[in-house]
Amino acid sequence: MSSLHTISKSPRFNLLESCLSAVSEGDSIIFIEDGVYHCNESELLAKLLSTSKCYGLKEDLSARGLEVKVDVLQIISYRKFVELCASHEKIISWF
Amino acid sequence: MSNSHTFTFISRTAPYGSNRPQLCLDAALAAAVFEQKVNYIFMDDGVYQLVKHQDADAINSKTLGNALETLDLYGIQNVYVCTTAMKQRKLAADDLVIAAQSIGDEELKSLLENSNTVFNL
Amino acid sequence: MKFSIVVYAAPYSSEAASTAYNFTKTLLDEGHEVYRLFFFSDGVHNASSLAITPQDETNLQKFWDALIQNHELDSVVCVTSAVKRGIINQQEAERHELAATSLLASSEIAGLGQLIDAAINSDRVVNFG
Repeated sequence: MSSLHTISKSPRFNLLESCLSAVSEGDSIIFIEDGVYHCNESELLAKLLSTSKCYGLKEDLSARGLEVKVDVLQIISYRKFVELCASHEKIISWF
Repeated sequence: MSNSHTFTFISRTAPYGSNRPQLCLDAALAAAVFEQKVNYIFMDDGVYQLVKHQDADAINSKTLGNALETLDLYGIQNVYVCTTAMKQRKLAADDLVIAAQSIGDEELKSLLENSNTVFNL
Repeated sequence: MKFSIVVYAAPYSSEAASTAYNFTKTLLDEGHEVYRLFFFSDGVHNASSLAITPQDETNLQKFWDALIQNHELDSVVCVTSAVKRGIINQQEAERHELAATSLLASSEIAGLGQLIDAAINSDRVVNFG
């Protein structure tokens, strides 16, 4: 049973670290709200992307001027966010 | 209501600084009342909720350490602490108010994989 | 697919309530169903009927109210969280002899059993806090 993990706080809250101890193979991670600042940590993301699918919410990225800076992970809309929730068996929110 | 649902509650925050530990506990007790299968996991700063000798009277709060005994009263027996969180905070089983099974990442993942709904507070 | 949405955050003090609103609106637009909205903890403030915002700012409570009414959604505020924060309906006002009510008519006050019921009867539960 795959899970979609949402991360909605800035990297300084260490949510990704906690989340990673709970991420199984086949799980995906979406960064929303201040969580999108993870997209600014390219080394961390590169490591993450080797094992899990990662997404960033477009609206939150562009609000923060980050959309133009992101090249490693997939930028998605609310529509795709809903679709991901439907295609994973459960959603685990880290906030 | 059906009995086939498994709920996992992850309590990740320290007591008193916020109401999150209480929300997590209240929701878990509600699931138990409805006779659902419940796992309760203390992770990160959440393990501080289990420390002995708490007394929160002076900060106008109910003592959470005592409230955690209700888990057992409501029949919630699958209570876990994350080994890493305990180690990082120099806590041992003897320091805790209730008995909890120590689990590593692999056991955590497996509990989550086998849950239908996860509340993560 | 049937979704239930749990909101822990008050409007304006963080982004989470707004994210929850956008998410709920999108899933309805996409043809999914909302089994229940559950406002928990500070999230109960999303169902306040007494909030006023400056004209050039979003009034999230009004947005929720319209969404709930337009789609006839089942919207519940947690009783323990609500009464503590002064989110009161007629029944609670009478019971506690209070002078005013503050809950939007589109939401109901109920216990945590409604959250558990929502999780059991929905295909997906999404938490925003």
